[in-house]
Amino acid sequence: MSWISRIWRIGRIVEPAPHAPEPSVEPPTGVAGSLQLRHVDAGSCNGCELELTGAFSPVYDAERFGARLVASPRHADGLVATGVVTHNMAQPLLNTFHAVPEPRVVIAVGDCACNGGVFTKGYGVVGPVGDVVPVDVEVPGCPPTPQQIIAALRAVTGR
Amino acid sequence: MTAALHDAPTVPVLGEDTHAKRPSGVVVALSGGLTAALGAVGVALGLAVIFGAPRHLRIGWLLPLVGVRFDLDPLGGFFMAATGAVSIAVGIYAAGYAQRERWAGFPMIMLPLFVAGMLAVPAAGSVTTFLLAWELMAAASLALVLSEHRRVAVRSAGVFYAVMTQLGFAAILLALVVLSAAAGGDAFATIAAHVGGIAPGTRTAVFVLTLMGFGSKAGLLPLHAWLPRAHPEAPSPVSALMSAAMVNMGIYGIIRIDLQLLGPGPHSWGLTLMIFGAVSAVFGVLQASVATDLKRLLAYSTTENMGLITLALGAAALLSSSGAPKVAAIAMTAALLHLLSHAAFKTLGFLAAGSVLAATGLRDLNKLGGLARRMPGTTVMFAISALGASGLPLGAGFVSEWLLLQSLIHSPHENNTLLALTMPLSVGAVALTTGLGIAAMVKAFGVGFLARPRSPAAEGAREAPASMLTGMALAAAACVVFALAPALLGPTLRRVLAVLPAVGGQAAGPALGTYLRLPGVSGSMSPGLIAAALVTAVLLTLGLARWGRRHRPAAAVVPLWACGADSLSSRMQYTATSFAEPLQRVFDNVLKPDTNLEVIHFAESRYLVEKITYRTLLADPIEERFYTPVVRAVTTWAQWVRRAHPGSVHLYLAYGALGLLVVLLVAR
Repeated sequence: MSWISRIWRIGRIVEPAPHAPEPSVEPPTGVAGSLQLRHVDAGSCNGCELELTGAFSPVYDAERFGARLVASPRHADGLVATGVVTHNMAQPLLNTFHAVPEPRVVIAVGDCACNGGVFTKGYGVVGPVGDVVPVDVEVPGCPPTPQQIIAALRAVTGR
Repeated sequence: MTAALHDAPTVPVLGEDTHAKRPSGVVVALSGGLTAALGAVGVALGLAVIFGAPRHLRIGWLLPLVGVRFDLDPLGGFFMAATGAVSIAVGIYAAGYAQRERWAGFPMIMLPLFVAGMLAVPAAGSVTTFLLAWELMAAASLALVLSEHRRVAVRSAGVFYAVMTQLGFAAILLALVVLSAAAGGDAFATIAAHVGGIAPGTRTAVFVLTLMGFGSKAGLLPLHAWLPRAHPEAPSPVSALMSAAMVNMGIYGIIRIDLQLLGPGPHSWGLTLMIFGAVSAVFGVLQASVATDLKRLLAYSTTENMGLITLALGAAALLSSSGAPKVAAIAMTAALLHLLSHAAFKTLGFLAAGSVLAATGLRDLNKLGGLARRMPGTTVMFAISALGASGLPLGAGFVSEWLLLQSLIHSPHENNTLLALTMPLSVGAVALTTGLGIAAMVKAFGVGFLARPRSPAAEGAREAPASMLTGMALAAAACVVFALAPALLGPTLRRVLAVLPAVGGQAAGPALGTYLRLPGVSGSMSPGLIAAALVTAVLLTLGLARWGRRHRPAAAVVPLWACGADSLSSRMQYTATSFAEPLQRVFDNVLKPDTNLEVIHFAESRYLVEKITYRTLLADPIEERFYTPVVRAVTTWAQWVRRAHPGSVHLYLAYGALGLLVVLLVAR
């Protein structure tokens, strides 16, 4: 059992996290410190996806603040939407939104998701995420850094 | 993008011959009732012999020179009772099936005759009677296979079956004639008395020939090819009779002739049986797990289960000749128990498949689905059968497969290289068989009965009539008994085992009580208590869930999650082909599938797909490799011989005169 005692002795070695930001919304499930998220790419250039992957990678580790990406909206407390909403993805985004159990939270990540960004006038574009589903939290940036994403997530999880 | 799925050839809708008259109710009831009554007589007589004194019957005038001779002992009684029980369920089922499928008069006459032939085989007490009953059984079953002879597939299956069953009969005939000539008598009792004086070479020749003949009837590799052809094409009650009762006669022949009359044989006999059994089991289940035709799947599953039984027989013979009669008795009990449970769940499986076929006209799993809502009774019946075939706890096949594995694991292989080599390999074969069997049955039940219908025919399915459901319910009751209370079979199996000294009959078999206890080895299990624990756990969970629900808000009704699309369609479901695709890929070298994937792009851009065509054809590799050359050679030879038959009467008269001349010269 030496390895267990060694784990116990060493403990966790991480950079100390900055202070938790002020909560931006009520915890959607009523349970603070836990947030299961379903990610929808509504028409992104994949820049935000890279940063989102970085935020959930071991380097930034968003999961230690209680946020997790899950495989189905049925498992989720909320949506993370990236990119400007295209015609083909408008209905799937709405379907996914309705598939998340209530109460739910929608987090728009990136300038395109918040206000259309550089693709606002594109021929295949419906509009920002807010035009299709109600958005609770916006994370600006093109793309936002992992620190910004984590800060926004912590404001929801409350950790 | 559109994708077209071209798959295994589909079966034409039955009953398309709408001109066929509906058979009169009296005739149907008479045929079904006679079949069931014969079955009941078989069960009664079989049980009377098992628990009473052996019975003998001689009819001297029926056959010239030797007469007909029936000697029933517990072994024959056991097979008679098993066949009878299957016939009762099938007889009741057939009454409804014949009405619904508009059977002609001929198959209704042949059905009781077929049952009579099968009941006579285990009762036969002499070589002549045995061969007579065997041929009656074979001819009646052939006539029944051909009852829908207007379809080409049926005729082709009929030719295949006729040739193979008659070749098998020729092998048995030759072997038994040699045996009775060497022993100097026709009756089995005489042969048993004089078997010690037969030369070892003759005994081995008889063993090899009978193994070929009985093995082809039992569907063992490589003589199994008739099984996946004839069983799907025969009417379903006939498939049930053939697959659950007739193949057992092959096992009966192996036990009676090879293990009881000739035995105990050398190690190599047991080893041969084990090898053939293991190869048949693995190959059969592999083909079943990739089959897309429901009845073909069940037919291959028969090969698998007969392989397991033969493996158990071989293990019993080998263990007995290696001086481990106690473990041999466990293996023999496993073989007999598996024979019974296979008869129960395979009857049920084919009868349920027949209900599906009658309701939808489909055997192709890729076109079925959604039957659980439309045919709830049949679905429950097939579920019981599939659970039995997969060898899981609470299924009919579980206890026997557990006994078989115990006997293989507990074989005493100290200082015995042969046992130390064969037994672990057999454990591997049985484990692989069981695992793949679960995949095959999950596919058959899940794809065939659950989710949404994949074709309009499956969508319009209606539940089977009462008599068909009654027949299935009888078989289902037998399945449940074998799964939960094998103790009821304990006395029967003990008495049958007692007449088989060559395979551990002198030792006490396993005690089948509430707890299954194995004498001489550590191992016990209680199927009844496992079931009770499971039922308690389910009830407890349901009760807790109901209790917890009081404090929760009312459930909201939302549309099904379709991965972002607007609605689910049956095209999104697993098909039988896609479910088996990983297995097909793993066993690529054995199955040799002929697959073809064609992707057609749009002319404007090769990044956009217009159409995908996937075609797969899974033929039996053994059939292709071994049978095709033989058939071709025979055809060539027949073409050559045909030259002597130009149709001239003068030439034929000359042949006759020449033949007479030769006979006169030879017999001078």
